Amino acid sequence: MKSLGLVLRWRVLLILLLIGLAVSTAQTPTPSVPTQRAVKKSGTVARKSYPPALVQSGATLFRRDCSFCHGRDAGGGETGPDLTRSKLVTADVGGNKIGAVVRTGRPEKGMPRFDYSDQQIASLIAFIHTQKNNAPTKKGGRKGVDVADLQTGNVEAGKQYFEGAGGCASCHSPTGDLAGIASRYQGLELEEQMLYPKHAKSKVTVTPGSGETITGTLDYLDEFTVGLIDATGAYRSWRTRDVQYKVDPSLNAHVDLFDKYTDADIHNLMAYLQTLR
Amino acid sequence: MNVLKTASLLAVIALFVAALHPAALAQGVDSQMLLHPPADSWPSYHGDYSGRRHSALAQITPQNVKNLTLAWAFQTDQRAEIKSSPLLVDGILYFTVPDNIWAVDARSGHQIWHYNNPKDKGDHIGHRGVAMYKGYLFFLSPDAHLISLNSKDATVLWDITVADVAKGYWTTMAPLVVGNHVIVGVSGDLDNLPGYIRSIDPETGATQWQWNATPPAGTPKQATGGMTWMTGTYDPDLNLVYWGTGNPTPVLNGKTRPGDNLYTCAIVALNPDTGKLEWAFQVSPHDTHDWDAVQIPVLVDGDFHGEPKKMLMQASRNGYFVVLDRTNGKNLLTTAYGPLNWSLGVDKDGRPIPNPAKEPAPDGRLIAPDEGGLTNYRSPSFDTKNGLFIVDAHPSWSIYFAKPADGAYGWAGADYDVWGKGVIEAIDYQTGKIRWSHELGPRGSGAGVLTTDSGLTFTGDAMGNFLGLDSSDGKTLWHAGSGSRTQSSPITYELDGRQFVLTSSGGVMFAWTLPEGL
Repeated sequence: MKSLGLVLRWRVLLILLLIGLAVSTAQTPTPSVPTQRAVKKSGTVARKSYPPALVQSGATLFRRDCSFCHGRDAGGGETGPDLTRSKLVTADVGGNKIGAVVRTGRPEKGMPRFDYSDQQIASLIAFIHTQKNNAPTKKGGRKGVDVADLQTGNVEAGKQYFEGAGGCASCHSPTGDLAGIASRYQGLELEEQMLYPKHAKSKVTVTPGSGETITGTLDYLDEFTVGLIDATGAYRSWRTRDVQYKVDPSLNAHVDLFDKYTDADIHNLMAYLQTLR
Repeated sequence: MNVLKTASLLAVIALFVAALHPAALAQGVDSQMLLHPPADSWPSYHGDYSGRRHSALAQITPQNVKNLTLAWAFQTDQRAEIKSSPLLVDGILYFTVPDNIWAVDARSGHQIWHYNNPKDKGDHIGHRGVAMYKGYLFFLSPDAHLISLNSKDATVLWDITVADVAKGYWTTMAPLVVGNHVIVGVSGDLDNLPGYIRSIDPETGATQWQWNATPPAGTPKQATGGMTWMTGTYDPDLNLVYWGTGNPTPVLNGKTRPGDNLYTCAIVALNPDTGKLEWAFQVSPHDTHDWDAVQIPVLVDGDFHGEPKKMLMQASRNGYFVVLDRTNGKNLLTTAYGPLNWSLGVDKDGRPIPNPAKEPAPDGRLIAPDEGGLTNYRSPSFDTKNGLFIVDAHPSWSIYFAKPADGAYGWAGADYDVWGKGVIEAIDYQTGKIRWSHELGPRGSGAGVLTTDSGLTFTGDAMGNFLGLDSSDGKTLWHAGSGSRTQSSPITYELDGRQFVLTSSGGVMFAWTLPEGL
């Protein structure tokens, strides 16, 4: 329960960050949020510089333990995001965000935790912030995905796909669950949510050999154990051999689309979803 | 009793004892042991030169595996996960994480010695294990040094540099010992650097030969890359070493490196005495998705559609399962073993044809499999009994981006996993058909596969359960929750008449065996 609480706290924190920081971090102005440019400009002024020796020791540590996933220059590598445009890094002040992530890890995303000293953390933060500050003027290297990159689709074609071939309308509604989706998510994040909502939880129904059927949010499932969070918020589990259980298959509809999509379908669908502000 | 008689008697006793306990007098690993590993050893990364990770041991069976019990567990007390395959020589296990080697008593699981040599430089992403020749271990460090240590006490005999960490190389792999050669590979695809394989004299540390996968950095219109970061296999009859090479660099931007980009994403056959290339088969021509072809080149002798063949099989990261004639590199079979959408098919030589429309693009391309690939570095196993190639597969989808602003150095683009899961697949090597499959859970598992003659498959699932499956149908016969995910491939050996299976998860090594009386 402790780790669950931690995960939930993280999720809440992240959601707050995403909502709170979308305003200050978008790299490309979008018509929906007219104040971005001004905020970004004022953010730029507040840059802090770090002692070169501290940055250098941070660079060494970063290259040792972080570069495989986040790239040597913190601009992203295998599996790990570009930290120079990370919302969390942007929100970080003197390590108050980064430090916790490094020390706790993000097991759900495959990031291990690191047992660093305060000095090591300080050097890492100095390096990451310096890389972030230098990123806009750096030539080449990974630049991440801008909102502007994802504007090649056709709204009308996307709407047709949504209502027709994609089958999206059988679960979703532009005036229901998706109303305002483009205000909650933008750019790459919206596209990732659209393709597969990684953090969505499935409903599960468990029927024990005797007693009543229990419905809850699926929390754990392997071949041997099924666990759910019930209506009271309590975790309950059973051996799979002792019960009948059924996981709501709705999310599979996203998976079923992967080998049907053309890239144009995805870009069109993105264009359409971006109209749902 | 006269002196001569006593001496004779002692000699007879000594011989008798030696016959009963061959390990007692053994002196590390020699060529014969590598060619014919005894049951009480696992003397190289794959256990033998074939890379099949299949054992003749049959004490643990589909009938009794449900009784499997913990013999011991060894805690490395490190944050780093065990990604190495242990060696077992003379009753002692040797396994690693970056900067660290442990020598552990295979009977009790207690530490004999611990070598710790922390390095500031070099990528610490993982470590696959050590190699051994005579009484010496060979250990690659993150800063790309090869270190020879006395296996008795970890004292260093020599320490040489095999690549320049300042340029962006690092090393993680377990070397391959063939005759008088310690053969090593390198890592480093965050920079535009050529990959290579180097052979080193085990006694002196001198370089014997080097084979370069790609031309020097800066050669116009040529790819760099082709890192060689997994242990190859060896056919003593043909005297050929087989090795997989990694992706080209820049990684996601293929525009500055037109053409096939030889010898990246290829399986190469080299003469171990000279380093001369005998043949090459490119599994991913002009790769733009980071799909190394370093997965184990598994050597199998058997029938292929009625004809006896010396084969090489690889379940490659790009989603294709290939079977080659390993005498000449000619293709026998190329078939997808999971979802893939990046090729236009297979050419007359069995090579996949990359679809230019599926290269990373500014507005993104939906690609299967994801960057981690349909499988990765953990070992598959060839089950000789059922004729099945059993692999930890990762059906998956992702989006790949690249734009001019991303440049042409290092990663040069961005990609994001969308969805994936783990499945053990048992592939009929003659047809590529999946004979059975076993779901492992969301995102995927990091466990390799071991099979045994008794008909068992050992692996792990996505949630951290160790699994013992029936090799004939994939049904679960045994499991144990481990508390973390497996990132290595199991091994097995027999000691004191008992069969052990070793599996790791997180930083812990577990030894499993059948119960016996106290």
